Amino acid sequence: MSAAAAIPRSARRRGPLGVLARNRVAQCGAFILVSTLLLIAGIVLFSPYDPNDKDYMAILQPPSLEHPFGTDSFGQDVLTRVAHGARISLLVSVGGLVLGGLAGTVLGMTAGYRGGWLDAVITRIVELLYSFPTYVLALCLMLLLGYGASSVALAIGLVYVPNFARLARSMTAQAKAENYVTAARLMGQSAPRILAREILPNIAAPLLVQFSAGLGFGIIMEAGLSFVGLGVQPPTPSLGVMMADGKDYFQNGPWVLTLTGLSVAWIILGLNLLGDGLRDALDPRLRDR
Amino acid sequence: MRVLTWLLLRAGSAAFMLLLGSLVVFLLMHAVPGDAALAALGDQASPDAIADFRRLHHLDDPLAMQFLAWLRGALRGDLGTSISLAGGFSTASLIAGSLPNTLFIGAYALLLALAISITAGSIAASRHGRVEDVLATSGAIVTISMPDFWLGYVLVLLFSLELGWFPAYGFTRPGESFLGALHSGFLPALAIAVPMAGIFSRMLRATLLETFRRAYVTSARVMGFGRAFVFWHYVFRNALIPYVTAIGLQARYLLGGVVVVERVFGVPGIGSVMVDGAFARDISVVQGCAVVFLLIVILVNLLVDLLCGLLDPRTAA
Repeated sequence: MSAAAAIPRSARRRGPLGVLARNRVAQCGAFILVSTLLLIAGIVLFSPYDPNDKDYMAILQPPSLEHPFGTDSFGQDVLTRVAHGARISLLVSVGGLVLGGLAGTVLGMTAGYRGGWLDAVITRIVELLYSFPTYVLALCLMLLLGYGASSVALAIGLVYVPNFARLARSMTAQAKAENYVTAARLMGQSAPRILAREILPNIAAPLLVQFSAGLGFGIIMEAGLSFVGLGVQPPTPSLGVMMADGKDYFQNGPWVLTLTGLSVAWIILGLNLLGDGLRDALDPRLRDR
Repeated sequence: MRVLTWLLLRAGSAAFMLLLGSLVVFLLMHAVPGDAALAALGDQASPDAIADFRRLHHLDDPLAMQFLAWLRGALRGDLGTSISLAGGFSTASLIAGSLPNTLFIGAYALLLALAISITAGSIAASRHGRVEDVLATSGAIVTISMPDFWLGYVLVLLFSLELGWFPAYGFTRPGESFLGALHSGFLPALAIAVPMAGIFSRMLRATLLETFRRAYVTSARVMGFGRAFVFWHYVFRNALIPYVTAIGLQARYLLGGVVVVERVFGVPGIGSVMVDGAFARDISVVQGCAVVFLLIVILVNLLVDLLCGLLDPRTAA
């Protein structure tokens, strides 16, 4: 059975937005995400504090009405910094996933459609990339490119290339045998056109699910790299940078690290719920991370 | 005989993968900006000293020759010398000293994740749609959403600072005291295991549910076998293969997590060595660690393939 045929007909007609109207889990995730994003935008726009406002009269204050997430060792408002940091972490993760998704999909679709030696070569490369532990691959790339937000995005992209490539390859190989692809070929359409206009729309849904699931892990990777000091560099307030800062005075002010991490987990929970809901509705057989 | 051929083929392709991976790491590290001679000798080094250093370490040779030299050394267990640590520690000795700690934490975490996920996944699947299932499923998605290193600090806050059951920092090497290692390694292993367990139990639950629907399970029930008997003999064993495959696919995430969590708990593992090496731009250390990490993942995947072959002899044939 092909990937396209496995998608329930109703889901195919409705598309991702239609699924959202029916699936409870996806709704829950979308609600968490949208409300959190609105909250972040509200804080960035209307917070009385600046993320880099230092107030040495109010260092390491526990959460209160004035500072809902407390203050850090410079007296900076943690909630404001979390909002600004979340913006940067999300951008880095989205950027990385877009890069990895594009590269992986192009590689995978080419391999799946062409077959032969090209397929063998690409499959080997993808398998090799998949054999490197995530942070090891990222560390090597950071050394090569230098630290900073754009290198982190590239590293996340590279880590995700094999995930997209595998998915795209197997689905393209299946779709290739379908009648609509044969029909397109008989009508004389070129290979790139068939891939882009005929096959891609039919395999896009699982790729989108992979994208939304990958966003969460992208945020974790950014946080982890910045946390050990090899990612986004201070004073840019990414979530990982703030958690690295919070670990230095964890005993005196545990709320900085704890609440920042809780915000990270909350955003990722929203992404995971949304991804789960979409996946269940679009293709119940897709279970790889 | 067929099994032996399959085994050799599999091992051969793993070795090829390792070779290719080493080459990629080697080229990456050679493209890293900065001069190894300057990094080792300092900015004040005389041009003669730099030229001597470059000749001594064959830095002026063609890349292919350098890679072959590195490969020849690596096969004899010589991965070069660390430039950042005083006294000229060899990279191989750094890795040999730290690798057991990493393997211990990794295996510990894997065992914890297996124990948690087999329990949670089995309960969730056999109580499909009831309270236990909802609890296990929502628990799994919450744990997947937590960064493991952050979870490490939360565990420290709870179990070390509040309750005082486990040390907050530091690690007793398994060689010194195995019980001490089990005790001091529990929190780091748990921090890695919990998100892993979330992924594993979701996987197990899904494959179990799929297997429950199979005709042979229904017919076994119809023939009058008990629920527990059917579960262990008909459902569980067949669901194990996708589960074991899934574990192999997670190896890169598991070992990736170890790199960061080691820093949180001060475990002197190979991940810490690699991060320190990256800070010091110590190319030979980073390169050696990356290749060893690659080797571990490849070995794990080889093992998973063998295990799947044992569980289902049809795949090996």
